[in-house]
Amino acid sequence: MVKISVLQHNPALHVPIRPGDPTPVQRNLNPSMHPFAKARERTRALNAAKLDKIFSKPFVDSLEGHIDAVEVLTKPLESLTTVASGSWDGGLILHNLHTRSEMLKLPQAHKGKISGLCFADPKGSRLLSCGVDRNVRLWKVGTGDGEDDSGASSQEPLHVYPWKTSFNSIDHHRSDPLFATASSTVQIWDETKSAPVSNLTFPTSNETVSSVRFNLAEPSVLASVGSDRTFTLYDIRTGKAERRVVMQFRSNALAWSPTLPTMALLASEDHNLYTFDVRHMAAPVQIYKGHVAAVMSCEWAPTGVEFVSGGWDRTVRIWSSREAGGKEKGPGGREVVYHTKRMQRVTSTIYSSDARYVLSGSDDGNVRIWKAKASDKLGVITARERASMEYRESLVKRWSVDKDVGRVLRTRHLPKSVYKAGQLKHTMLEARRVKDERRRKHTRAGEQKPVAEKKKTIITEQS
Amino acid sequence: MDALIARADAIRPLSELKAVKTRDSGKGKAKANSKGKSKDTSTSNSDYTLQSISSHANVPKSLAPLDPSSSKSKNDEVPKYNHIANKKLRSQLVHQHALNSNLSKNALETQQNLLSLAADDAGSIQVTGPLEKTWRISQDEIVASVGGEAAKGRRELTFGPGQGAKRMKWSQNGRHLVFISGKGGTKVSSVDWMGGNVNCEVDLLAGSNLAGAGGNGGGGEAARDVTFLQDQSFFAVAQKRNVFVYDRDGVEVHRLNNIIDPLRLDFLPWHWLLVAVTNSGHLSYTDTTTGTQIAVHRTKLGACNTLTQNRHNAVVHLGHQNGCVTLWTPNLPKPAVQILSHMGPVTSISVNPSDGGSAGSVNMPGRYMATAGRDGKIKIWDCRNWKGVVREWAVRGAGDVELEWSQKGYLGVLSGGSVNVYHPPHIVTPYTGSSSSAAPPLYLSHPIPHKPLQCLRFEPFSDVLAIGHNKGLSSILVPGAGEPQFDSLEADPFENAKARREREVKGLLDKIQPDLITLDPSMVGKFDSAALSASGSSLVATAAQSLLDKSDKVKWGANVQVKNVGVDVPFSRMKRVERLAVQGKLDTTGAGDDSEDSDVEMKEGGDGDSDDEAGLSREEMSKKRKMRGKNKSLKRYLRKQRKNVVDPQVLAVRAKVDRMREEAKAKKLQMKAGGAGEENKRKSALDRFKAGSGK
Repeated sequence: MVKISVLQHNPALHVPIRPGDPTPVQRNLNPSMHPFAKARERTRALNAAKLDKIFSKPFVDSLEGHIDAVEVLTKPLESLTTVASGSWDGGLILHNLHTRSEMLKLPQAHKGKISGLCFADPKGSRLLSCGVDRNVRLWKVGTGDGEDDSGASSQEPLHVYPWKTSFNSIDHHRSDPLFATASSTVQIWDETKSAPVSNLTFPTSNETVSSVRFNLAEPSVLASVGSDRTFTLYDIRTGKAERRVVMQFRSNALAWSPTLPTMALLASEDHNLYTFDVRHMAAPVQIYKGHVAAVMSCEWAPTGVEFVSGGWDRTVRIWSSREAGGKEKGPGGREVVYHTKRMQRVTSTIYSSDARYVLSGSDDGNVRIWKAKASDKLGVITARERASMEYRESLVKRWSVDKDVGRVLRTRHLPKSVYKAGQLKHTMLEARRVKDERRRKHTRAGEQKPVAEKKKTIITEQS
Repeated sequence: MDALIARADAIRPLSELKAVKTRDSGKGKAKANSKGKSKDTSTSNSDYTLQSISSHANVPKSLAPLDPSSSKSKNDEVPKYNHIANKKLRSQLVHQHALNSNLSKNALETQQNLLSLAADDAGSIQVTGPLEKTWRISQDEIVASVGGEAAKGRRELTFGPGQGAKRMKWSQNGRHLVFISGKGGTKVSSVDWMGGNVNCEVDLLAGSNLAGAGGNGGGGEAARDVTFLQDQSFFAVAQKRNVFVYDRDGVEVHRLNNIIDPLRLDFLPWHWLLVAVTNSGHLSYTDTTTGTQIAVHRTKLGACNTLTQNRHNAVVHLGHQNGCVTLWTPNLPKPAVQILSHMGPVTSISVNPSDGGSAGSVNMPGRYMATAGRDGKIKIWDCRNWKGVVREWAVRGAGDVELEWSQKGYLGVLSGGSVNVYHPPHIVTPYTGSSSSAAPPLYLSHPIPHKPLQCLRFEPFSDVLAIGHNKGLSSILVPGAGEPQFDSLEADPFENAKARREREVKGLLDKIQPDLITLDPSMVGKFDSAALSASGSSLVATAAQSLLDKSDKVKWGANVQVKNVGVDVPFSRMKRVERLAVQGKLDTTGAGDDSEDSDVEMKEGGDGDSDDEAGLSREEMSKKRKMRGKNKSLKRYLRKQRKNVVDPQVLAVRAKVDRMREEAKAKKLQMKAGGAGEENKRKSALDRFKAGSGK
């Protein structure tokens, strides 16, 4: 007996039962049912890469209010919205990022430039500022949350710590009521005392310290960079400088990694950023090249993976630190460059506490808010949208080696001045390299060895 | 400070800790034992720290990256990639492999689950013994035994003598059918086959049956071919003058003026290309998204009556009057493949869209092509190897033979007064019997009394075969011919208007560029190995490269070999091996080639040594000739002297050189003779020190 069956679809299984029900989906994963699956995926990846470019509008807002150039920016540890900025005219403004309003404005907080700012407690209710007027001032500021009893900020400082020299930088101890200032020496102050508790200086040094920062994991350790091209480590328990390295160029700013306790980031005058592991100071861990002028500021993201830097070349750049497990961040494995027509020399950059935004203060007196990820969508994102974003992201990552997709990813627009400066710099470096090569070629074989790039930057290590 | 460093040590990733350990142990060998011990304890301390925090630092499972090491313990198939020096790349590859294997495993499981659900849906004919033949079963029996809804697939539509369906085409999802009928082929109808509705009927004879449709559109023209575009909402008709595009309601929406006198049409759905071949033998590709003609190829083989596409690589197959079959892509002005397939005009071509039917088959879809010619032969070709036919057989009956392959690989053949269907595995298995042209076993046969039979098309996702004949259109049931499990994301017969619109937009976004049409569709996403190897050949070895002996080449692999050539590679960009080689510090003394090294200096003499030079490569030889030896100044002196100047000093020097050459030769011979003995000696452990001392 022959058994015959003929394929028949049951329509009830394939149409929604009631109007409004989702349409049932049937899958067949047999590759022969999906011709050109790979080619279609590539097209999708190409589109995703282009969409990413289309959506990359990193500039969010600009916070005005300063009359002169913005010199410093700082944020409290435990607040998402509060940011303080200090300017060359001595003005100090406390911004609320959420409402984009000024919570506090002190037009004459200092006479002359405010050179350092930091919050004295994680909540951000007290603010320390130092300036070229040889004063450190402690301000009481309202966080604006309402929960604090001191909702109102005062126009007068809580405390003034006068000293004989002008200050360049200030940083508060993580837990104790101590803070460090940088002038010709590094001084440790007690909040309750009007004179510095101790003076930290490297024995033979006679430099102007430009930046000082407490370590985040081990708060009694602090580091400074100074005009002697040095990067120095101090311990306030022993009260002396532990060790230092002298580099080829001086560094302008310094930041400790929030996740790797021994990792410090230096923004150097030679257009590069350096990460140092303080256990091995003979050479930097990594050199980050990209800026075409001196790097003026740097700051880690709270994740410890990315960091932001601002430079004399009027750009803000976001990097991914490879030693912290960061992926190749930018398109084409390069850093992300932010710039606008009106932004001048960038003097200070910080990350917001949620690592979603980057703030930059520049010579034009504005504090600018940027997205940390240029094509990020602000506002509510539905689950479907999120899923499609993630899919696009993974597609781009997967196909980034493709020629066309890679080209879309790599292409970035730079201001002409920056682009030309980069070209010029490349030419100069190349010429230098070629000269070195030639010189080596004409010396006896093996006599003149090339020095590793990382080693070149360090002149000596002292302890 | 120490506390800071201790903290930092605890945070370092495990892999680095391991590296520290090994480094320490390496040092420990040289250093005192006690020191090594203390270091061990310090590392174990940090391990404790790690263990203590690990429970709090767990990432949710869904967020955790797939751990390749865990999957490694499960199945040992994860390759180690030991040959890759780059640690980061290696771990990435292992991770990717684990990910892929898991994914494919999951996909397989899902697929099996899906298929087990759908298995009972598939049509089939099961016979109980070898004496029962499936081809004896008539359509009436099939209809009677299946009954119900499935039996509705068997239909007979009669339009009248000479007015039957001439050409037809199913939509992607198999729900709609468009066909040419009427006297002389002047009527085009689009019908919803499953729903049993007529979408539209365009009467080309009447001309302007539709007001405002552009007027002269198809006035009194016969349609030669018809095809749906991306879905049932548009169809293109090849008419006498041009190709016209009609929408679902039969309104003429486009007239493709640049295609003149078209004969056959097809649509490449993933590339959105409308392919037309004309009476003059021009093959044109029209992008239906932009309306531009992206390529026109002159076939130079005259009017072409046969056009089909390979759905898996979008290559267009044309069959010509002289018996040639040519394969075209828009990028090549000449056919990618041209074969002489028949002794007479080619009447029909079809490409097997299935991957061979059985689950475990390794056949790629679109591998086999079937051609039929007016010489009464049907031939099956392997698209990967055009050397000969896989199978061929003759068909009886007058008229043109039409054939088509179903989704599951059943081959329907229209010849004479009947339609025959053949099984999948037998069609493509080479016949090894005595007669080379035996037909494969017949699956089904169905006589149709209305000659001539004009065309046949299998309905996708269904067991229906539609046949156009002189009087109308009939459809028969071929159990097992259709793919039972459709993929809703690709083609869904039950989709609603919203889903159709969604699919259209998605399809447009995923449109593949016509440049990517090649014979091998898997080319996308692969490294261009041809280009790599081509560039590799032009890439020159660096100075260091030629100094490396063969064993080193094997050891260092491609890292050392691939270098930019022509460009002088700067020292700072060389690999360490290369630098050492350039500095002359590379230890090239392998275990086996001590004796060879020793006669490098001897060889510069010249022609006398050619016997043992044979073993060396040319490159090495040239290098060795260049090598400067002790006699350089002497040779320079000789070179400077003219040969025809007889100078007692030169003569003396020549004699000296000859003598030295002789000596070297003798020495070498001696060494060769004693070579076996030396090799025996080399077995001893102390001999490793000898090589160094000998240098």
